Amino acid sequence: MSHEDLDHVWRALANPHRRRILDVLRDKPCTTGEVAAALGENRFLVMQHLNLLREADLVTVEVDGRRRINHLNPVPIQHIYERWVGKYQGDWAAALVGLKRTVEARSAKNETRRLKRA
Amino acid sequence: MEERQIHVVEIKAPVADVWAEITKLKQIQKPMFGTVLETDFKPGSRMIYKSEDGKRVFIIGEVHEFVPPKRFVHTFRFTNLPETPTLVEWTLEEKGGVTRVTVVHSKFVDQKKTADSVRTSWVDILGNIKAMVETGNVPFKTRMMLGMMSAFMFMAPKDTLRQNIPELKEKK
Repeated sequence: MSHEDLDHVWRALANPHRRRILDVLRDKPCTTGEVAAALGENRFLVMQHLNLLREADLVTVEVDGRRRINHLNPVPIQHIYERWVGKYQGDWAAALVGLKRTVEARSAKNETRRLKRA
Repeated sequence: MEERQIHVVEIKAPVADVWAEITKLKQIQKPMFGTVLETDFKPGSRMIYKSEDGKRVFIIGEVHEFVPPKRFVHTFRFTNLPETPTLVEWTLEEKGGVTRVTVVHSKFVDQKKTADSVRTSWVDILGNIKAMVETGNVPFKTRMMLGMMSAFMFMAPKDTLRQNIPELKEKK
């Protein structure tokens, strides 16, 4: 994923109102009115923030009859995570597998020694 | 309200390439946790995601719609969970060389374990499909995980063994 794609995401996240909107949507998908009510904020303002979140694909809208439901889409956040953190997490997993092998090899060796002694 | 999970990803590739990855048969689909998809894609037919050796089946469902290269709808049940099937809808749209993939997972009535499990899995799967189609491989972290999963496959629940799956015992 290139820097330009993530620019939208960073910009959308760089605002406390929008992060609070994402918190509300993480609990459950909501209409714009429900988001505004949950935050005690002006509906028009919430709508503007939601538009920016949609442009960044952090929010997806699904139309359900006359209601427009906003859903949190965490996929772009995962891309950010993947880009800066995932690589280290992989190293960590590799280290764990290495540790498991070492421990198992050691206990196998001890076992052989015990058997020899018996 | 019945739970609906919606996940979206944009992939810089023609829709045909993305469709080919999602509907790939016989070879493993790395983004789908290294499973192999088996089905004839006819509405009403069985579809499964199985292990590479075919001995285990992790997800079982029935094809509802198959419209290349835009829509694939099927039911979805984890073989290791005692829960009823849910519904997965894949929708692909291409605009100016970018393909938008939307996965809607729905029909959750009381399948809480399935819902909790797929909530994080779809994020990984869609990210992995994007990486696979754009760069030719899944991220390092996923490759690591696939390696560990195949090493520990013998420890997977017995419910995933082909001979233990109720749907596969019925004659069809």
